[in-house]
Amino acid sequence: NWNCWRLQDATCAWFTLSSLLDILTCSTLSAARSQHSLFFLSHNLSSSSSHTYTYDPVNPCVLMECVPPCSDRPGFGEETPGVPLSSGPPTPLRAQTFSSFSPSKSYSRQSSSSDTELSLTPKTGMGSGGSAGKEAGPLKVFLRQQTQSALEQREYPFFTLTAFPPGFLLHVGGVVSARSVKLLDRIHNPDEPETRDAWWEEIRQEIKSHAKALGCHAVVGYSESTSICEEVCILSASGTAAILSSRFMQDGPLDVEHRFEEVVSPGCGFCHIPYDELNIPFPAQLTYCYCCRRYKVPDVLFTTIDLPTEANVTGKGCLIQARLCRTKKKAQGEGNATAISNLLPFLEYELHTQLMNKLKLRGMNALFGLRIQISVGETMLLGLASATGVYLTALPSPGGIQITGKTPSDITYEQHISNMQKKINDTITKNKELYEINPPEVVEEIIGSPIPEPRQRSRLFRSHSESSDEVSELDLSHGKKDAFVLEIDDTDAVEDIHALLTDFSIPAGFYSCNTEIMPGIQNWTSAIQMFTSVRVFRLNTNLTNQGLNKIFSDLCENLLKSLYFKLRSMVPCCLCHLNFTVAIPEDELIQVAVTAVAMSFDKEQTLENGKQSGEKTLIKAITDEQLQFSLELNAETSSPNPLSSPKGLSDVGSHPSARASSMEKASPLPEGRSRSLRSNRSYSGSSVAVVKMTPLSFIPGAKIIKYLGIINMFFIRETTSLREEGGVSGFLHTFIAEVFAMVRAHVAALGGNAVVSYSMKECVFMENPNKNQAQCLINVSGDAVIFVRESELELTSVQPQSATTQTSNGGEGT
Amino acid sequence: MSVELDVFVGNTTIMDKEVYQLWLNGYTVNDAVKFRIEGGVMEECEASAEVLLSDTMDQYRTFQMCERLLHHPAKLANQLLFQIPPDRQAMLIERYYAFDDSFVREVLGKKLSKGTKKDLDDVSLKTGITLKSCRRQFDNFKRVFKVVEELKGPLVENIRQHFLLPDQLAGDYAAIVFFANNRFETGKKKLLYLTFQDFAFCAGQLINNWTVGAVDNMMEDMDVDLDKEFLQDLKDLKILITDKDLLDQHKSLVCTALRGKTNVFNEMEANFKNLSRGLVNIAAKLINAKDVRDFFIDIVEKFIEPCRSDKWTSIDVNLYLTHYTNSVHILDTFKYHAVWTRYMGVIKSCILRMYHD
Repeated sequence: NWNCWRLQDATCAWFTLSSLLDILTCSTLSAARSQHSLFFLSHNLSSSSSHTYTYDPVNPCVLMECVPPCSDRPGFGEETPGVPLSSGPPTPLRAQTFSSFSPSKSYSRQSSSSDTELSLTPKTGMGSGGSAGKEAGPLKVFLRQQTQSALEQREYPFFTLTAFPPGFLLHVGGVVSARSVKLLDRIHNPDEPETRDAWWEEIRQEIKSHAKALGCHAVVGYSESTSICEEVCILSASGTAAILSSRFMQDGPLDVEHRFEEVVSPGCGFCHIPYDELNIPFPAQLTYCYCCRRYKVPDVLFTTIDLPTEANVTGKGCLIQARLCRTKKKAQGEGNATAISNLLPFLEYELHTQLMNKLKLRGMNALFGLRIQISVGETMLLGLASATGVYLTALPSPGGIQITGKTPSDITYEQHISNMQKKINDTITKNKELYEINPPEVVEEIIGSPIPEPRQRSRLFRSHSESSDEVSELDLSHGKKDAFVLEIDDTDAVEDIHALLTDFSIPAGFYSCNTEIMPGIQNWTSAIQMFTSVRVFRLNTNLTNQGLNKIFSDLCENLLKSLYFKLRSMVPCCLCHLNFTVAIPEDELIQVAVTAVAMSFDKEQTLENGKQSGEKTLIKAITDEQLQFSLELNAETSSPNPLSSPKGLSDVGSHPSARASSMEKASPLPEGRSRSLRSNRSYSGSSVAVVKMTPLSFIPGAKIIKYLGIINMFFIRETTSLREEGGVSGFLHTFIAEVFAMVRAHVAALGGNAVVSYSMKECVFMENPNKNQAQCLINVSGDAVIFVRESELELTSVQPQSATTQTSNGGEGT
Repeated sequence: MSVELDVFVGNTTIMDKEVYQLWLNGYTVNDAVKFRIEGGVMEECEASAEVLLSDTMDQYRTFQMCERLLHHPAKLANQLLFQIPPDRQAMLIERYYAFDDSFVREVLGKKLSKGTKKDLDDVSLKTGITLKSCRRQFDNFKRVFKVVEELKGPLVENIRQHFLLPDQLAGDYAAIVFFANNRFETGKKKLLYLTFQDFAFCAGQLINNWTVGAVDNMMEDMDVDLDKEFLQDLKDLKILITDKDLLDQHKSLVCTALRGKTNVFNEMEANFKNLSRGLVNIAAKLINAKDVRDFFIDIVEKFIEPCRSDKWTSIDVNLYLTHYTNSVHILDTFKYHAVWTRYMGVIKSCILRMYHD
């Protein structure tokens, strides 16, 4: 119920923030301080000398469960989450997690916790593993240790992959993230990477320790990003803490078939908590898994990865976005860094509130592909969180949202509140219908026995907050579920709720997600349409936070609306991999760029069949001997790199370019390849080859028979005749069209007929209309591939390649 | 607060047929948005005016970028900038080269020169077609004319190949080029009742039968000009009206054949000499370029109007012309059967086509 309270005045705000950090932080203050003399003078809330703050947004709802709505500082220590549950002396885990800095309190305490943190981490992992033995038994511990040993050889057990073979993810802990504000002008020798390396090192260590705190030994779906404005730089990293299967981590020659088929994982395994139930790093509301009834699951799960293929999902998913804009005074250097540091926690907190509210409003309980972008400008900070919400069958059904007023005496106000409440309830009901979320409700009553315990505890938590809460009289349950309470205590809240409700509903026939595919939709047709859309919005000066928020939110909403409208001919379709990128190119400009793919699907077919065939192709692609990657795996048997789902393949391919060259050599078919490419050209009528593009790792209804390597291209375009080229829109439109054309031409020249895992990594646009000039830089990348339609494959069957190679070679000689 | 920049680019270029038509019709973005709102697309897709405006702007930009390619349709299939499916390409080309009948009636037979282009404002005012659209159509005519003017071989085929147009549209363009080249007069009051399709049909007849290409398409010359030799030979037909015996003989043959078959027999008999004189005179004069221009006026004045005032039906006209043409072959002193057949074949079908209200 972390929405029970509101930021009311400066002190309270300051206070709640610190409490937030208190609970969440696994701070690396010592690391920060040691660097302080080197590159930055830092400030944080307590005006101690660090502004590296970190934040662990795992299950934020859960996290905030027991934060009192408004209480004073002394009470806080007592209410530290988890304490009421602790039956013995704090484990190292808890010590590390919970004793962090609070505003003015012990400097020494901070340093002690953070100083010992790194050295503690291995112990932490063991500790939590050991005490988890209650139900999981020794097997779990054993497995974990085994895997751990494989993983611990790596400095950072981080995986940037977001999709894994079934059974690879044993448990998912939640999102871990870290941010740091740095001053670039404090780098002594900017040409050398040492300082920057040290910064990232710091952040990675932090991520690693967060994962440990969650009882996990690895981070998956890991990514790093920066936002720079003048000399201030925000470094961000985030990922999903997870426990991986040891089976996949073994060294030695890879027996692909064996490993993939051996694992039969239930669709709920990854939802089970990896951390020790009694030593939860935060106040989670645990219940027994709704699938297997044997293990504990959290009530909400946030992750940065794609939905695992084996996951049991009820209904369909949808894109959920939280958007936020905060004004900031213009400042220089340190002052600026401080201002930003002070704003960031609020920003993240608000983003999570929004995500949580929107998730509940849609009746869902998990987020996948969570990506939070923070952009810094001279006078504002932008935050955009995008994720795909789903209803995981294993997790409990989310409660509704209950709003309460501050002044219950006022009748008209009450009326207003109850109207809003009604709207919210209606919206939830409508959304449940829209996304086909109708989980079996009865089980809870029948099974009964395992339930009481978590229930009791949740009541316990509640009593905590209720004790100091004016709304304690409220019935906090919505139906049988615990409700999520929103208190309306100021105009902000009213507007927020309003915004929540006015999020337009997606037009009929459309689905959207920012992950690879939409859960619940399998039977794709071959119609795909990749697109890029860019919008730049000029703001008025002197806008309030509220005004800014509204504008930014509308900008994103309108962009989405436009996309739906443009793609209406493809209905029923799903916008997949909706990837928003925000930037503040100039003081009063907001730039939003979206790249995604619209894919049509067939409503008629049964989902089950589709799913099966989809899984089959996964395996097929992996075991295919034609793949360059299997060759690579054979050649490099010593390096344990068995992660090769199709997504994995493309990602591996797109990373080390050095490896790509070695693959070239390893490929025994250099000529055959160039020949077979041409055969693809003959299939289109015109002399220009059709090249498909998609940000996804696969092409529906087709099989990728060859990976031709990474495409990574930078383009810079400048014009001194902006007006003549149709203004900024005309200029950029032409440029993007040309970028697409050049990528297609490049792929066609390599002999490919598609680009997969396409992304526009950079789009920097600058203009000077007075001088009639504009510049733009675009960086795109992807994997060039050859694909064959599955229908064609079946027709030509056994030796299609050699046949087409021979015939086509004569025809097209160039 | 304003949207400074707003673009959408698809890997496959998205083009809305409806917006394309509005663009072709020369409407401004704002007008186009109004039309679309009236068209009900908003209710259909839950869109707002803002979304429509953005979409329309985007599409207009795309079309403008495509326009230079459309000037050389063959390039559209070979360019790399826009990935457009072949059926879409065909649609784009066909619609770009489509024209309004009311517009083409205004410029048909006129010289496709700058002078004519300057007068397009008046045409726009008169027809209610936007000036932009008029210019596009005019430029299309001119472009096609310029390209095929110097080409050998069949006109329609040339147009079809160079501009990738469907048969029907290629035929229409052939007519436009043919009319422009020969400067046929089509704007006179008496001709206003004729539609472009009437003229296009006649042009087709002329191209297929009276040009050099009609007899020998391997010739250096092409379909645009009438066969000079043939026009020369037409003078010989004068004998049909100058030789009194031949004329009487012809008349009696036709009348015998027609008697009892039509309600307007008396009028036919009475008018025979006039009509015959008219048709043969047209033939004899075609050697002069100036008289070629008046070809359609002459047909209307010399044949169609007299028949119409006597209330002939099209069946009557058909019957009359059939017998009028065939009877000549029975005349023993007449020697120019080939020329006569070639001439009357076209005349007959043209008159039948033009004989309506």
